[in-house]
Amino acid sequence: MRNPLLSCAIGLASALLVSSFAFAQNSPKPNYGGPEDLYEKLGDNGAGGAAPHRELTGFWAGRVAARLNPVAPMTPWGLEQFHLHKTTGDYPVAESNDPLKACDPLGFPRSMLFMTRGIAFTQMPGRVIEMFQFNRLWREIWTDGRPLPKDVGGRSAEAPDPRWYGYSVGHWENDYNFVVDTVGSDARSWLDNAGHPHSPELRVQERYTRVDHNNLDVTITIDDPKTYTKPFVITKGSFKWIPQQEFEEQFCVPSEEADYQKLIGEPAAHGTK
Amino acid sequence: MKNKLFLSFALFGWILTVCGPSFAHHGTASYKTDKVVVLKHVTVTKYVWANPHTMLLFDAKNDHGIVSHWAGEAGSPAAVRLLGWTKLSLQPGDVITVQLYPSKFESNVGRVEKIELANGTTLRDSPRGDRGVLSRY
Repeated sequence: MRNPLLSCAIGLASALLVSSFAFAQNSPKPNYGGPEDLYEKLGDNGAGGAAPHRELTGFWAGRVAARLNPVAPMTPWGLEQFHLHKTTGDYPVAESNDPLKACDPLGFPRSMLFMTRGIAFTQMPGRVIEMFQFNRLWREIWTDGRPLPKDVGGRSAEAPDPRWYGYSVGHWENDYNFVVDTVGSDARSWLDNAGHPHSPELRVQERYTRVDHNNLDVTITIDDPKTYTKPFVITKGSFKWIPQQEFEEQFCVPSEEADYQKLIGEPAAHGTK
Repeated sequence: MKNKLFLSFALFGWILTVCGPSFAHHGTASYKTDKVVVLKHVTVTKYVWANPHTMLLFDAKNDHGIVSHWAGEAGSPAAVRLLGWTKLSLQPGDVITVQLYPSKFESNVGRVEKIELANGTTLRDSPRGDRGVLSRY
């Protein structure tokens, strides 16, 4: 074919003229007609009173996906890992290798950057438990003064294993600021939806600020010298007090995911004819 | 008329064959997000209220009575519930109009833009921001 682009254009025009199943029109500007999540629906929920001292307990609504800052420049190793990740934004779902595609854990810190429609805290002696609406899971943040484990994933028999949600310790910097440090996140998890990687050397700091009764802010800092050339703040987000103080049930169900791949994912990527 | 339909599919197949390089899909997601396909008076065959996506299966019949089977995906129940959808929004047999973003490939699959029910109610899908990933769940 001497001029495939011209042939392509003529062929496409012919197909559209002949076909009477459906017709295409220019995409209208999306108007979703409603809020994106409970966070947006709650709007300005006011202060609700003064912030209690050293207290995060409660159910909090966040955005579906945190607003992310650009990552710091990657190291050569980081770039190599990044290019192995096929996101569902860049590839058809069937061809993506996003761990979430198989309902694998989001892991930490991705769990604080995506699917944050609902998080909750409860405080117990010596620890704070953070719970996530998505997949109804939790992480433990030790507040009993223990140090973070060393050499997670190291070669010695005593070295602790990496975990999807890492190892976390926290302390109250003052009455309203709770600081959490985390190491040992399993490097099979992605940092974010864009497929940015992290290494076993990742250290994450979350700084929660109880603004008032109804509002909780968080700043998350990434420090991973194997992957990024310098530490960076990946997000500054906020959460709002959920009036009903309860979660929806929201699971990634492997069998439903498999149905989705069969009915939608595979045909969308590879055709059905 | 069947010949017209056959010609349509044949042309489409030929386009994909001849214009492969122009339609290379690596680096893009599954759907054409700049066009909306409108399928009028289609019949719901299955409605799946599940994660990661609400799914809708339906039959579209052309002017000549030829039926094609379609599948559309929308946001998760948690996402579309906020836009007025419920597990009872659709039932097999309902006749509706579906607007969707079609697959870039040769398949009757798409991402729902909106659905118009027989009673005039419109159900819109949830946002697809964040490089198409946001509303997967």
